[in-house]
Amino acid sequence: MDTKNEEEETRKVDFEPVEIEYVSYGGEHHLPLIMSLVDQELSEPYSIFTYRYFVYLWPQLSFLAFHQGKCVGTVVCKMGQHRNTFRGYIAMLVVIKPYRSRGIATELVTRSIKVMMESGCEEVTLEAEVTNKGALALYGRLGFIRAKRLFHYYLNGVDAFRLKLLFPSPELFSSLPVITNNEDSHRHTDHMPPEECCELH
Amino acid sequence: MADNGAQEAAVDISVLARASIPFGDNSVWADVSPLLEAACKDLRDGDLIHGDNFNLFAAMSALEIMDPKMDSGIVCKYYSVDEAIENGAAPVPISFDKTVDVQRAIDIMDHLLACEATWHKGHSLAQTVFSCIYLLRPDRTSSHALLHSYCRVIRATCKAVISVVSDARTHEEEDLFTMAYGLPLDGDGDEKCLSLLNAVEETTSRQLRACKAQSSRRRVLEDIEPLQTNLDLEEGYCKALLCRLRFRKHFYHVLTSMRRPQGRGLELARKHISSCILELECILKSSEFLRSSACGSCEDIIDDSTTGSGCQPVGFDASLNSRLSAPTPPRAIKILSWKKAIEYFVKLLHDLDILCSYSLDPLLEGVLQFVVQFQKSQPDLVARSHLQLLLLQDGKLYGRDSIFAVITRAAALPEVTKNHDIQKNEYIVQLGQLVINMLKILCTNAAWQRRKLGKMLQDWRVIYVQLELVFRKDFGEVSSIPDDENICVKIFRHILLWVEEQTYWIASRFLILGFELELYSPSEYCMVYWYIYVVLIKLAEKTHLKMATRNDTSKRKAKKKRDSLKDMGREYRIPPAVLFVQCQMFLVEGLTMMLAALANEHMILQSPSPFNTEQERFIQHFELLQKACVPDHISYPSFKESTAYARFSTLVMYNYFKDAQRIAKEVKSSFANDPEKLAELRKIEQVAEHNSIALNVMCRVGALDRTLKVSFEFGHHPYFATAVVKRS
Repeated sequence: MDTKNEEEETRKVDFEPVEIEYVSYGGEHHLPLIMSLVDQELSEPYSIFTYRYFVYLWPQLSFLAFHQGKCVGTVVCKMGQHRNTFRGYIAMLVVIKPYRSRGIATELVTRSIKVMMESGCEEVTLEAEVTNKGALALYGRLGFIRAKRLFHYYLNGVDAFRLKLLFPSPELFSSLPVITNNEDSHRHTDHMPPEECCELH
Repeated sequence: MADNGAQEAAVDISVLARASIPFGDNSVWADVSPLLEAACKDLRDGDLIHGDNFNLFAAMSALEIMDPKMDSGIVCKYYSVDEAIENGAAPVPISFDKTVDVQRAIDIMDHLLACEATWHKGHSLAQTVFSCIYLLRPDRTSSHALLHSYCRVIRATCKAVISVVSDARTHEEEDLFTMAYGLPLDGDGDEKCLSLLNAVEETTSRQLRACKAQSSRRRVLEDIEPLQTNLDLEEGYCKALLCRLRFRKHFYHVLTSMRRPQGRGLELARKHISSCILELECILKSSEFLRSSACGSCEDIIDDSTTGSGCQPVGFDASLNSRLSAPTPPRAIKILSWKKAIEYFVKLLHDLDILCSYSLDPLLEGVLQFVVQFQKSQPDLVARSHLQLLLLQDGKLYGRDSIFAVITRAAALPEVTKNHDIQKNEYIVQLGQLVINMLKILCTNAAWQRRKLGKMLQDWRVIYVQLELVFRKDFGEVSSIPDDENICVKIFRHILLWVEEQTYWIASRFLILGFELELYSPSEYCMVYWYIYVVLIKLAEKTHLKMATRNDTSKRKAKKKRDSLKDMGREYRIPPAVLFVQCQMFLVEGLTMMLAALANEHMILQSPSPFNTEQERFIQHFELLQKACVPDHISYPSFKESTAYARFSTLVMYNYFKDAQRIAKEVKSSFANDPEKLAELRKIEQVAEHNSIALNVMCRVGALDRTLKVSFEFGHHPYFATAVVKRS
């Protein structure tokens, strides 16, 4: 969802939303599709280890979008215990240019978030460039807030927002002070080192 | 099968003869390609070699050898600095043609300025300033006075800047800045850099005088060798060189003057700053001359050139330091253009000038206002570090006033209390630390600052509780004892009030910074303004109480002195400081209600999110405030209750914006000597006026006319929005 490039010439493809097929990560055969899609968009590539790390440990959280047999979009995520919350993390989200602004990215992310919710995640988080209006609008519509601003997070000096979605908690009575974890924003916890982190968001 | 492969892949020592990389005493290079090939054949698709602690960081740090995007070694031209030097990458002299030598020296100076600005902006020293080969080998330049003195002053300047930033020690996010391992920052004799520079400056001045005398056919007074061989260009090059040398001299003086303790060098620093700015202007102007006389071999001049002449500088190679730069292979960075670098230094110097002109206000309120105002121009790391070191030295304000003295003054206690023994109480000591910490945090970048301010709230709450417990234990109930009977009681009472006031101030800064950092989406403005409102109510209350407590004491003393008749006759007036907060309160209440009315009357688009509700977003945004109970008894249900019945019909009858305007007018005269407060009041008036009008429009037309679109903009004030009503 690198909407910075919207100004560039892209021949949009005409299609009906129903023509897009959404598939859960199914195995090795999907990996090169994901890799080529993400490599295309990122200026700095991930090593293959990075991809395998996500899709092997959390295959249920990665989805691909196909149009007439061609892979046009993908989302790659993880989830796990972070201090005392169980939370999901959206690592990569790409939709190729001719297919953008048609809700494909929203659909991919929504599917992944649903799995996270069903798996017991309390919240979902990701980082996005402050200039990436498209991503910010997409996640804003899904209920994410901009929890923090991270100064000069990316190598090119651009700041990032830490976006967070908090799932409603059935047990908590809302007027009590919320007991939440004290969140630090250091780079060197289990989330992506800044230069590597998805500039796509 | 695998075994055979392994045998075939046994190391072939004879391959060494073809090795192009020299081997050392204890190392030998061996070609293991056959072994790797065999290992690959042994793995199936999808197999991954990994260890037990192969985590995400390990995965991210892995790189594919020989992929130029990841393997920085593959793009290196030279294996080491020595190899680069051997291949003529940094010749001394730069050229045997004196004109070319001077041209290239100036290019080096310009590129170094661009590198320096790039470093200040957040990149590593190794990849920027120390990409200069001449800097990496200090002794090589000793035969070239110009280059040698310039390199010395650059190293000394970098060292001074690193010292300021590391002493400030609040640069955690910007830790790349101070990393200097393996770099020769402690050049032998660098501290004498200025005397060397002065000598070169003196020589160049004489050369300039000589060529000017020649051109005006006056007798040449001194017998001096010209700077370079082309007489037509002599004046231009002398001038170009002089302003560059002088800039460096004055800049170094700025840094050393500002570091003098207790602000003693600030006035002198201002003089040097003004000289720096003048020299930068000359430097910029010299570009025209440099471009026109640039060496013929130059490529097309591009706007983002890193030199004044537009030529590529000699003697730089960023890849040589790749092993020193960072734990992971460094990505290539873009050096700022020369023009942008000059802009950066001009801004830095203006920011430093503001610091040097600061009156060193002993009142904490004044300090806080100054810091907040200073931060509005978004100063960079170097300027911010200087701010912090100006404010805090040796654990004292300006290196001069003890923190306890600062606290007693802020708590509206009489001057004599600043030496009271109560300062030894462990909680008072802790409070002092909190104040120091708060001041340091207020000097950091806004994003980092906000997070830390939020976290700080709990600490301030806790210290309040602890102090209150001590007070109660030693003196019984807070309200029962009159102050004058026991000075300790008085000190505690005032400090407790002040701690609360300060806590709410921190909370208000936390919320307001969210606007500056663009953390709130328009659908969240209502709850944010509401929270600011409840915090401001408390802030006004505590400020008022603190001032009233002080007045009570002085009134009682006055009674004893029989001046009381005059005092009792005077009407009690709300102090201007409180009125100021009340003015903001009305404005923010108005905004809250207007936004709530828009939502209640379905005039703004509010699409529900599929995964959570407004309540979750409320909980998230105000988590730190809720955790610290700042204020207490505030929750999502109370927010909903306060805003559930907001309607335009009622809002027009009770117009909060009009109240804000009224108070603003009233209180302006009290701040006649405070231009910042006056500016703020004027902005508040504007926002109130525009919103009042918008409110009337919405009320009259609103619910009926579905074509009306309301948006919120920050044209009149950075965080109090103005409603803009348009027909779509």
